[in-house]
Amino acid sequence: MIRYIAKRLGISLLVLLLGSLLLFVLTINSGDPLEDLRESNAPNRENLIAQRINYMGLNKPWYERYWEWLTGAAKCVIGQCDLGVDRKGQNVNAMVLTAADSTLRLVVLATVLAIIIGVTLGIVTAIRQYSGFDYAVTFMAFVFFSLPVFWFAVLLKHYAAIEFNNWIKEAQFEPLTMVIIAVVLAFILMAAIGGDWKRRVINFAVAAVVFGGALFYFDAVTWFRRPSIGLPIFAVVTLALAALIVAMTSGFLNKQVRNAVGTTAILGIVGYGLLRGQLMTNPSWGLLALCLLAAIAIALISGWLWGGFSRKQAMSSSFVWAVVASLLAMGDLLLSNWAKYLKEKPRPIPTIGSETPNYDSTFWMHSIDALAHIALPTIVLTLISIAAYTRYTRASMLDVLNQDYIRTARSKGISERKVITKHAFRNSLIPLATIVAFDFAGLIGGAVITETVFGWQGMGQLFNVGLKEVDPAPVMAFFLVTGTAAVLMNMLADIAYAFLDPRIAR
Amino acid sequence: MKFRRTTASLALVLSGALLLGACTSPEETTETPADTPAATDTTQAAEPTESEAAEPGTDADVPAACLQDVGITATQDGEVRYTAGPGDWSGYNSITYKTYSTYNSAVAAHMFSSFVYFGTDGTICDNKEFGSYEVISDDPLEVKYTINDNAVWSDGTPVTINDYLMDWAAQNPEFLVPGYASGENPDAAVVFEHVSSSFAQYVPEGPQGEVDSKTFTVKFTNPYPDYKLTIGSALPAHVIAKHAGVSPQELAQAVLDRDAETVKKAAEFWNTGWIYNPGELPADLNDVPSSGPYKLKAGGWTAGQSLTLEANENFFGTPAATKNLIFRFIDDAQQVQSLQNGDVQVIQPQGTVDLVGQLNNIGDAVTVDTFSSLTWEHLDFNFREAGKVDELDAEGQPTGNQVDSPGSVFADGQGGLKLRQAFAYCVPRQQIVDALIKPISPDTVIMNAREVFPFQDHYQEVVDAAYGGEYDTVDIEKAKALIAEAGIATPIDIRVGYRSGNQRRTDTVAAIKASCDQAGFNVQDTNDAKFFDIALPSGDYDVALFAWAGSGQITSGENIYATGKGQNYGKYSNKDVDAAWSELTATLDTAKQIEATKKIEKALWDSLYGIPLYAHPGIAAYDSNLQNVRATSTQDQISWNAPQWLNS
Repeated sequence: MIRYIAKRLGISLLVLLLGSLLLFVLTINSGDPLEDLRESNAPNRENLIAQRINYMGLNKPWYERYWEWLTGAAKCVIGQCDLGVDRKGQNVNAMVLTAADSTLRLVVLATVLAIIIGVTLGIVTAIRQYSGFDYAVTFMAFVFFSLPVFWFAVLLKHYAAIEFNNWIKEAQFEPLTMVIIAVVLAFILMAAIGGDWKRRVINFAVAAVVFGGALFYFDAVTWFRRPSIGLPIFAVVTLALAALIVAMTSGFLNKQVRNAVGTTAILGIVGYGLLRGQLMTNPSWGLLALCLLAAIAIALISGWLWGGFSRKQAMSSSFVWAVVASLLAMGDLLLSNWAKYLKEKPRPIPTIGSETPNYDSTFWMHSIDALAHIALPTIVLTLISIAAYTRYTRASMLDVLNQDYIRTARSKGISERKVITKHAFRNSLIPLATIVAFDFAGLIGGAVITETVFGWQGMGQLFNVGLKEVDPAPVMAFFLVTGTAAVLMNMLADIAYAFLDPRIAR
Repeated sequence: MKFRRTTASLALVLSGALLLGACTSPEETTETPADTPAATDTTQAAEPTESEAAEPGTDADVPAACLQDVGITATQDGEVRYTAGPGDWSGYNSITYKTYSTYNSAVAAHMFSSFVYFGTDGTICDNKEFGSYEVISDDPLEVKYTINDNAVWSDGTPVTINDYLMDWAAQNPEFLVPGYASGENPDAAVVFEHVSSSFAQYVPEGPQGEVDSKTFTVKFTNPYPDYKLTIGSALPAHVIAKHAGVSPQELAQAVLDRDAETVKKAAEFWNTGWIYNPGELPADLNDVPSSGPYKLKAGGWTAGQSLTLEANENFFGTPAATKNLIFRFIDDAQQVQSLQNGDVQVIQPQGTVDLVGQLNNIGDAVTVDTFSSLTWEHLDFNFREAGKVDELDAEGQPTGNQVDSPGSVFADGQGGLKLRQAFAYCVPRQQIVDALIKPISPDTVIMNAREVFPFQDHYQEVVDAAYGGEYDTVDIEKAKALIAEAGIATPIDIRVGYRSGNQRRTDTVAAIKASCDQAGFNVQDTNDAKFFDIALPSGDYDVALFAWAGSGQITSGENIYATGKGQNYGKYSNKDVDAAWSELTATLDTAKQIEATKKIEKALWDSLYGIPLYAHPGIAAYDSNLQNVRATSTQDQISWNAPQWLNS
């Protein structure tokens, strides 16, 4: 294994080196670094051109310029990177740090969301192969996959930012709009749950009435201007969540798991009830992290104490509840502050940027501000990458479901839930490990268009501007970071693969 | 494959329904007026056109193009948001050759006061709140500058001669870098990375006066018509001195005493000390004082996002109208939606036809303003005869070899003036302006001069004296006759060169081809990404299509039209033009300058140096609730009068 990794590392280094040479040569030959000065009528134009030629080293041969960059970049090995300065005299090291920071903030959330939603959809469509739901999801996946990012982003900015902001001033629905929304949502839910005709009709009718009623209620109290979940609803929802988790994992007949999740849920709800006031008035990241850790600790302990022979399952189920319920609590807190945010920012969803300049307000206001800014680019990135995950998961899941060991498991009389969650789901994730790792590496460098459209000056922007100005330093820094990320992630995927699938390591 | 779903689906429906059935939060909301451009009344701000003379409150002494008194007496709380484009701010010192950019200049314009500034049409306006100047001797030209007594930096230090001594020294005068400013040794290694050297070049002796004094005189080598632009704003010498480890007085005295060693101590901080890592303003904001209406705000810079300036409470002139001025860094293509959503309030993107449509679709909430800029498009003939020329490599550097060049068919030894006239008769100038420019800026006219723009005062006067209007309309028959007179066999290949990647120029050449091919030319579109590196300097073209960006200077054209000058790419040479330029550059008398300009324009028309086409259109749009926004033709951008912007 060590030899294998060392060999991979060596090859990767060589690839990076050759790639950097190629990119450097391509970059410095990609245009005219003096372009902006050529048509200038400034009296000192000649002087400006001479100065730029001098400090960018344009009169040196390409190998000398490359060597200068390489010697600086090679110091990264001993932790003293010197990626040079760009055309404006800015330190590229610092530029890369800020750019990478902004890109990571942008892509991490989108990637996580895309994986969760994509994998879930993939599993469900595989289980319901050739159902209406399967066709619908497949269709939407292809639509989103083939959407031009630029165009989609501009549309989203128009409808989800400009039009939404116009609407949120009154937050009133037309009755017809409400009916349509309720019917569409109910239809989707019905299709996802499936079943025979009778079930479908009942599900549809119930959901449509509930959704419609909710919408009318929201509309009547302008809920969208002052939304909140509130403690009672939070309690009901999280209890339902506990029921869902138990039903999905062990079933209600397993007393150990049921009791563990139940205990966690009750303790969690009580704890949130006690702390909610404190969290609303005096929040901080430390306190929130502490709450999350406490919830996880309660979950693990109650799983351990109640667990018995299904200790592992009891602990993991409680853990899932704790995490999801914590997120819900966070959502409750954010929603409860939305009204205040609207007062400070009457047009809440921006089309551009990662923060409101000079925004001086409370912790919750800043959190909502950050979320409002990240919302649209996240939607774009998520939707376009969901497609791939859905398709991969579906294919891999179908593949696994047709394996002999699944048939064996079924013939032994194991419940369908167990067959899918224990036997099929896990094995279907193995090929996904590669894709996730590779995708993540790609996302770091690949969000160029999204960054440009939403004004996030991340890695893509660094590359773009550098290339436009025929300035090799930022372009090469971009290459160094994304190239290294791609190589490392690829290797991690290979290693993870070996661990996940013992047949490969052998 | 049945999945037992009773309990699961029930739980899912239940939790979904409950989630949506939640109650509202108890906060009582009161509707606040949105800070959005949507749904506003149509109260119009001052109409930002060139014809502004009739505006109420106009000071009779102030030309219409300059800043007008709009009645601001105190700073109002709040913010105005503007974007100059995607470029991040990169340093307080915007006059090093690394940081010199329109983005940095747009910010610096509000942090440094100067004796003069450009009005909307390129007029040089006096900033009387900062100081004054008077010519005390015509020959040699000597000017006395007086800085107002109340003019101080935002940290309270008075603005004095010390700052201007440092400004002069930073341009690498003779005592620091021998031969550099005078041009005898242009390759000399500079001490200060200053973008310009004109102060040191035209004023070799530097500012004269007492250290710490509010007045100084400068003596120019020649009568220099652009003397007003030579002395501008200055950086704070007391900050430079602090970082150089000397007192401000010592530094100023060192410049007066030509003490190069002491002055060189200041160079490191001057060159790099004011360039910051992205988003990191200096811990000590006293390092970045302001002599303008705005100053840097602590914590106001987020890399790649925005830079905030706040009103300078120690400003000695008319205070800024609004407390915070926010520069956001937004790509041109995204600016319209940002404006529509209220993320920014003023934009000035690159003008395209699509953009005009988008902006007009927004409605009354946004005011759209189109104008002509000081950049103008033209066709220049190549006057090179056939012969040997230096070969250039792919970078535009001479390889040392000589190669044969066919020269140009428009050279006087070949087709000559007749052929140039024939070409001028077939270029459809009106059609080009109508089809390509008017959709953006409907008021654009054909430009019939080179040194004055259609929206400037003396344009009509100069054009009347220089040009008879013969090339205004296409006359194919006349062109054919002139080609016959020139005696060149048709079809005549004409290489029209320009830098590729500009659709408007491609369309222009297509229009010329459609028209001129009828007369017997064969117009070839020879665009090239490296047109400016190779084809233009080596003369591998017959007609060059490009634009000059006007600098607002009177004398800069000499470099383009006089014999043997650096920007005279076509090797044009005309004795009358040379003589008129010498006349123009040697007089301070405005009337004589106009007379010389008439002579130059007439000679350029008569000998057909080239054909001017149009001034580039510009477009600006702003929130209709914002008052006093006024577009400018100069390169200062629309933010030139941002301290007057006021939310209504």
